[in-house]
Amino acid sequence: MGFPRFLAFSVGRALQGIRRNALMSLAAIATMVLMLLLLAGFWLLQAGLAAGVAYVEEKVEIVADLRDIPGAEAVLVVQAQALAAEVAAMPEVRAVRYVSKDEALARFQARLRERGQVDLTGYLDRNPLPASLEVSLVDPRDYEAVVDLLSSHDEVVEDVVEIQQLIERLTSVTDVLRTGGAVVLVVVGFVVLFIIVNTIRLAVVARREEIEIMRLVGASDAFIRWPFIFEGAFVGLLGAGVALVILAVAAGPAGEMMYGFFRVLPLELGSLARDIVLLVVGTGLGVGVVGSWLSVRSYLTS
Amino acid sequence: MTSAALPPPAPEPAWSPEPASGPGPASRPVLALRGVGKTYPNGKVALRDVDLALGEGEFVFLVGPSGAGKSTLLKLLIRDELPTAGEVIVDGRDLARVARRKVPDLRRRIGIVFQDYKLLPTRSVRENVSFALEVTGTPRRRIRPAVEQALAVVGLSAQSDQLPTTLSGGEQQRTAIARALVHEPRLIIADEPTGNLDPLISWEIIQLLLRINELGVTILMATHNAEVVTSLRRRVVALEEGRIVRDGVGGYHRED
Repeated sequence: MGFPRFLAFSVGRALQGIRRNALMSLAAIATMVLMLLLLAGFWLLQAGLAAGVAYVEEKVEIVADLRDIPGAEAVLVVQAQALAAEVAAMPEVRAVRYVSKDEALARFQARLRERGQVDLTGYLDRNPLPASLEVSLVDPRDYEAVVDLLSSHDEVVEDVVEIQQLIERLTSVTDVLRTGGAVVLVVVGFVVLFIIVNTIRLAVVARREEIEIMRLVGASDAFIRWPFIFEGAFVGLLGAGVALVILAVAAGPAGEMMYGFFRVLPLELGSLARDIVLLVVGTGLGVGVVGSWLSVRSYLTS
Repeated sequence: MTSAALPPPAPEPAWSPEPASGPGPASRPVLALRGVGKTYPNGKVALRDVDLALGEGEFVFLVGPSGAGKSTLLKLLIRDELPTAGEVIVDGRDLARVARRKVPDLRRRIGIVFQDYKLLPTRSVRENVSFALEVTGTPRRRIRPAVEQALAVVGLSAQSDQLPTTLSGGEQQRTAIARALVHEPRLIIADEPTGNLDPLISWEIIQLLLRINELGVTILMATHNAEVVTSLRRRVVALEEGRIVRDGVGGYHRED
């Protein structure tokens, strides 16, 4: 039998097989859908967690209080801006912000109002609050070089707020979260794989008499095997399709709910959707095919 | 009649075109076992020193108590097992020298009938029979007439669209026989074909096999059915504890 004819034949037999064993096929597809939803769900959680962790790390800032010499304000502003530019050029630095004395005062007053405390700053002759540079980093662990640079310019920098401890505590937590999230995803992945393969195996076991008869009547291994592999592929694709539809439907309302929360997060929705589609279809198809192949193999010992 | 001197092994490759049929066992045998022994890995000796040859058109009963080795012998013939000693030659081919991927081809040339029919339960009678041809990649237009003919021989043309579950034991076995016939084998092996059937239906099946034998098909039938064997007076090969203890025309028991 020529190859294309064999292919068409196997596909036809596969579809027949799914129809004739409808209940088992349905059970396999249902399991596939649930497992793929589980996998996609954990993937989303992991992505959200990673985004949340990145968000927090981004927020870490080095604050350098600048010198406040009455009468030399103009000079200091120029020097501060020069320093800010120098710092901003560093690879470890994401952004530098110059907070002027006026802005510092305004923030202070706002915080007093928030806490319901009396604002007595109006009674002061001059603004006691220093200007500052707020430096946000690409990776909070790379703070040393920045701190060193700031400290070295002590003609304009009064004090660099000590953040080492803060950063170390933070990164130990974020590291655990990241690793933990990845580990959970891998474990869930294995569970999903195991359950799907088992379900397929059960479906094939139920057909072992059919396979045995095929062998005795003189069907070749390829003839027996390929319809089953196609069945696995169809079950996988169908399961993936249904799972994606469910996710798409749920994504609408769930997305709106989460948008407000996640808006601030560096979560790229476009590539996330693409990743999930690849994950679901790839897992469904891959496990369907491999699971079927493995399950039939154990009965093909001629 | 003991087995005549076996013809010398023909110097041919393990793969030859359809052999020409000759008259009787002295010419090229349909199957031959020479010094065949089978010992299983757990130490059980199922067959020892078996010499057996079947000629074209013979009808042979294989008898013996349970555990005597009948099933093992049949398994060797379809290469479900390999002998641990000696040679099994079917249709001129030494089974041990046939490559694994050629084994399905081998099985297509022998018709097999089992005690439990081994039919596909979700397919009709016609589909069960045509299945044997489908697996060989026979084009559909050639399958149909072959199937109709096989069904006619066994007398199931009217039930061809029924499922096995709606058939009686006898009808199911006839379906199995039609399947065994459909690619016109030289040899049909039957492993206790009447084991699950009542005496009347058993006789019908035997009659059918006899008719098929008259058409020229060699038949080797393992059976416990003493009545049938004794009354038909055909060649009987008796196995006991893995050895052939009797080979000749006779009844089920030595004294029959």
